[in-house]
Amino acid sequence: MEEKFEPKIAAFVCNWCTYTGADLAGTSRLKQEANARLIRVPCTGRIDPVFIIKAFENGADGVLISGCHPGDCHYNAGNFHARRRWILFKNLLDFIGIDSSRLYFSWVSASEGKKWVDIVDGVIDAVRAKGPFKQYKKMNKEIEIPVAAEEGVSVK
Amino acid sequence: MEELIISIDNLKEIARELFNNDCRVIGTTAENKFKVIDDPEQLILNPNSVPTGSSFKEFFFPKTEPLFFYKQNNSSIDLIDPVIDKSRIVVIGAKPCDAAALPIISKVFNWDYKDDLFNTRNDNSLIIGMSCHYNDEFCFCNDVGGSPENRKGSDVFLKPLADNYFKAASVTPKGEAFIKEYQKYFEKDLGKNKPLVRKEENPNHFDYDKVKTWLDNNFENKFWDTAGEMCLGCAQCAFVCPTCHCFDIVDEQNGSCAGRRAKNWDACQFSLFTKHASGHNPRDNQEKRYRQRISHKFKYYNDKFDEILCTGCGRCSRGCPVSLDILQIVEEINSLSQKSNAI
Amino acid sequence: MNELKQICKDALSEKKARFIIGYKEDKNKRIKPFIAKTPEDAEQLTFNHHAVNNLAVYLPRFKNNVEGKIGIVVKSCDLKAVTALIQENQIKRDDLFIIGVNCSGVVLDIAKEFNKDNTQIKCKYCQAKTPPYYDALADESKDFEMPDDDQAELMAKIDKMTSDERLEFWNAEFEKCIKCYACRQVCPMCYCEKCIVEKSEPQWIDTSSTARGNFSWNIIRAFHMAGRCIGCHECERACPMGIPLTLLTRKMGMVASSEFGYRHGMSLTEPTLIGTYSTSDKEDFIK
Ligand code: SF4
Ligand code: SF4
Ligand code: SF4
Ligand code: SF4
Ligand code: SF4
Repeated sequence: MEEKFEPKIAAFVCNWCTYTGADLAGTSRLKQEANARLIRVPCTGRIDPVFIIKAFENGADGVLISGCHPGDCHYNAGNFHARRRWILFKNLLDFIGIDSSRLYFSWVSASEGKKWVDIVDGVIDAVRAKGPFKQYKKMNKEIEIPVAAEEGVSVK
Repeated sequence: MEELIISIDNLKEIARELFNNDCRVIGTTAENKFKVIDDPEQLILNPNSVPTGSSFKEFFFPKTEPLFFYKQNNSSIDLIDPVIDKSRIVVIGAKPCDAAALPIISKVFNWDYKDDLFNTRNDNSLIIGMSCHYNDEFCFCNDVGGSPENRKGSDVFLKPLADNYFKAASVTPKGEAFIKEYQKYFEKDLGKNKPLVRKEENPNHFDYDKVKTWLDNNFENKFWDTAGEMCLGCAQCAFVCPTCHCFDIVDEQNGSCAGRRAKNWDACQFSLFTKHASGHNPRDNQEKRYRQRISHKFKYYNDKFDEILCTGCGRCSRGCPVSLDILQIVEEINSLSQKSNAI
Repeated sequence: MNELKQICKDALSEKKARFIIGYKEDKNKRIKPFIAKTPEDAEQLTFNHHAVNNLAVYLPRFKNNVEGKIGIVVKSCDLKAVTALIQENQIKRDDLFIIGVNCSGVVLDIAKEFNKDNTQIKCKYCQAKTPPYYDALADESKDFEMPDDDQAELMAKIDKMTSDERLEFWNAEFEKCIKCYACRQVCPMCYCEKCIVEKSEPQWIDTSSTARGNFSWNIIRAFHMAGRCIGCHECERACPMGIPLTLLTRKMGMVASSEFGYRHGMSLTEPTLIGTYSTSDKEDFIK
């Protein structure tokens, strides 16, 4: 019998809006699925695209990025800079073959606990439907311990 | 011993048999690249072809390979050795400037530490060399102790004859055993197929001894200020070179509790190559790094291992993005040595 | 060509430039970069269809070492790199003595003769055979036959693929990469003192040439070139493994121009694409 696939989602969220919004969702006892791992960064402007790549390398099936609504950035313009970068990066990933079914973006403010829950659940459902990101995981093959080698384990 | 010849078709048959016996057969194809041959029909042996863009060292010394894997196991750490691929490697149609590189780099891989990874592959290998009829402005095998007929590094050596035949001779006991193993594919040479001849002899460009003496005495010379001035410090030259053998060792994680330690190609033309943890870099500009490249090839390696770390294949120059030509640099040193009488 | 020599000779003897980064022909008739330091050196300077190198790559070297102007020989396309470096504060216009050359196209493969099939694609789209600004100008440009743009065909083919097919296509290409970083070293826009792949605490990008390490490296390099690549084709020419690198950077250039109407290296004063933003940037993909 095949086990039900549970996706791993890496969510990069900004400290001031989305993280606080997610916190609100928790304190308001809203129910949400538990597949997303939140990584708090000071600002969406801090998210280097290499983070997204790193998340996929480490087994993420989908990535969600979320921050303050335009105009609400704690640092005034961090999210505007980020948005520009995302447009470029999204197009690049798309051309390389990682399409928008793996990468999601949202604006969630500190008061939008409910929106956060809806977005996270939506992303988890979509990625679950899409299935594991096999194509990317395949790239890890050389770094994984070869099965044949496991037998001769030496312990230190 | 009787003289033997073999046809291209029979060579392909040998390749097929080797392939079916789980050997890694390496040869050149229509794109003129060394590849693992899975379909013997792809195999092309052309003595007139230019040396391939990259050498075949990657099959002996891969661009990346694991030294061990690690995995956290409760409070201890499991170290797991990689499986060394022990399959036989047979290279068919290596040029003398390719084949000669293996015994040269074998010395450094067996110096203070015996490198099992390299040695296993090297010991399980068989090199079928072939004389070369190519020559361009970048070739200089005969200036560094080689020649288009040089058998160094080959176990079996082929000479092209008319009608797609090759004269075959064993060079080492390994090669002799190989010919015996596949003797049904070889024929007796009745002298029917005329040998193909080189159009012209390779010119001589420099006198290695003079160059070496100059290098011995001119670590500080203003020649070095301009020799590598235009070098960009990419490592194209080192990575395509059959004799460049530097590597770096890195740890790489896979998830949070596992990973591997790997051995990767590295090169002295990178600015990070000699950078110390303190931030100090003894080779702090490209000119010094270029001096290192030339000196390692034509002096240090010779001092230490009695070999020139260059087979004169000319790859580095053919591919250099700024057309820095190693032969022209050594020729310049040669003429400097004549002027200065090495002092 | 004599004109170029004369201009450079004068510039050096009149001390208009401290030295001149240009091209010379070696004894095998290969054109290569060369720095002329004296009026006599200038005798060796030359220019022709084989002068492919984008010499702007040498400029950041002199960033902190400017005493007297740096002379540089540029084609119109190379000037874009110079402009871009000025825009990105890597060098000052006042520190340069720019010797423009009228260009009649350059070769794709330096080992072969110049002809229609051996002409760089960028030449087809070159808008100005004469550099838009300079301190001195040499040579006449001649008409030449334009090459076919087979890269555009390949791009259209990739655009039609499914995501999985694209990933497969790029994986097969990136797998060849040997991490020599020639693509980075020849690129005039890759001037970082410490490249991201050299950052080891933590190691963001694996230095190993594994499928994973190659993929990350090539994506991130392409991203760093997004809206910054000036299309000189040097990276692809230098890549010993023949990976179609400019396919990626060209695509990103097209995105920069369609999404933001931006082209890098076209104006000395315009802010860079990534260095600024607009409140009206598209956001239909953000929930
Ligand atoms: S000599 Fe050429 S190939 Fe080698 S590092 Fe310098 S520029 Fe690159
Ligand atoms: S240094 Fe150049 S010519 Fe010498 S062996 Fe290496 S690639 Fe060939
Ligand atoms: S990425 Fe390539 S084409 Fe673009 S500027 Fe750099 S070297 Fe030139
Ligand atoms: S790849 Fe990126 S980090 Fe590396 S040198 Fe180029 S621009 Fe800088
Ligand atoms: S030049 Fe080519 S092989 Fe070298 S690092 Fe760049 S993509 Fe990889």
